[in-house]
Amino acid sequence: MIFKIHSVIDGKTIYARIDDDGLCRLTCTEDYPEFKAWIEAGNEPTPADSE
Amino acid sequence: MTYGTINADLITTSDGVSAAGLYGMKNRIINGDMRIDQRNAGASVTPTNQQYLVDRWVAGLTQSSKYSFQQNAGSVTPPSGFSKYLGITSLSAYTVTGNDTFLLQQIIEGFNVADFEWGTASASPATLSFWVRSSLTGTFGGSIATTKTAVWVMPFTYTISSANTWTYITVAITAPTATGGANTDNTAGVYVRFGLGSAGTSVGGTAGVWTSAGNYTQPTGSTSIVGTNGATFYITGVQLEKGSTVTSFDYRPYGTELALCQRYYYRTTPVTSSRICMAFASTTTIAYGLINFPVTMRSAPSALEQSGTAGNYGIAYLATSSTCSSVPTFYNGDTAGSQVQFTVASGLTAGQAISFYPTSTSGYLGWSAEL
Repeated sequence: MIFKIHSVIDGKTIYARIDDDGLCRLTCTEDYPEFKAWIEAGNEPTPADSE
Repeated sequence: MTYGTINADLITTSDGVSAAGLYGMKNRIINGDMRIDQRNAGASVTPTNQQYLVDRWVAGLTQSSKYSFQQNAGSVTPPSGFSKYLGITSLSAYTVTGNDTFLLQQIIEGFNVADFEWGTASASPATLSFWVRSSLTGTFGGSIATTKTAVWVMPFTYTISSANTWTYITVAITAPTATGGANTDNTAGVYVRFGLGSAGTSVGGTAGVWTSAGNYTQPTGSTSIVGTNGATFYITGVQLEKGSTVTSFDYRPYGTELALCQRYYYRTTPVTSSRICMAFASTTTIAYGLINFPVTMRSAPSALEQSGTAGNYGIAYLATSSTCSSVPTFYNGDTAGSQVQFTVASGLTAGQAISFYPTSTSGYLGWSAEL
């Protein structure tokens, strides 16, 4: 599982959680506890896909 | 006619219910009878750490794939008065090592235990009661914990003497007058934990004695469910109540219990082509919808769950409908509702009113405000 940058809406970054099967089942802000724990574990979200 | 006054320390009805137990919400556990399963709808799941099982009950584990859970796993007859139970099945014969811990836990919101006054001289004792059934026999363990100023834990033990037989357990919780106390707001108040196998710093303490020496899941020596391949652990009727008198289970209406659960998690019910919400187009490809939550959530959600498949969602406007080209995306949220972004390939007109719907029974949206 990883998080990647999904988009920036009204100056707020939305992250997409990409599960091991490649599907995105969750999007969140930086306040989401699972995302914060993932960052605190030393991970870094990957950049958004280019359009 | 005049009415007199009754002065008594304890009034008990003929079925053993004390006056204190007759008041509403005597059971501080939500979904203690395991009826509500918004996330999994009765399906079997092998959980990851912190994954929710039936509503309000969360898995704790340090090693993956050691147990599965399912509402009514094994399809045994529940105890009298109950229709559901939470069933855990060990997937291997795993020997716990290091600081391993495997547990089933419910975290009770501080608001709902504030009257316990734990951590003060006025602290009340409490009782925990539940029905449990296992393929194993012996001494099992769990713990009650609070974390207001420091982690304080009261480990407890209970005995299952007959395998594959529902056993009613009661646990006396001594009044924690000299501990750090429990939070009394919308943060974590009291942790109720059932150990499924733990080692190292995750086990210890003396049953019935509050301690801050360690964050113990269960006392040393209690039975490990994950240690036996195929072992089962079924539980229902969990009740935590104020005072030292154990009373009958607090059966609440289904709608009441569902609403209590929805303060912490809400998932839309996917009925094909049934509208989830109205929305408006912002561009030719993006629309925003506002979903009002059925009850005020504990805190503002910061994420949106969905099925992971864009084709499970669609929008309709005028006489046209389109399948979404991306999965619905979290936009913002507060305790009352959430805005969600929907994306289609083309065809919208800014300002246009649309409706958003699931194209199949897999198309749900979910928000969490769990502790």
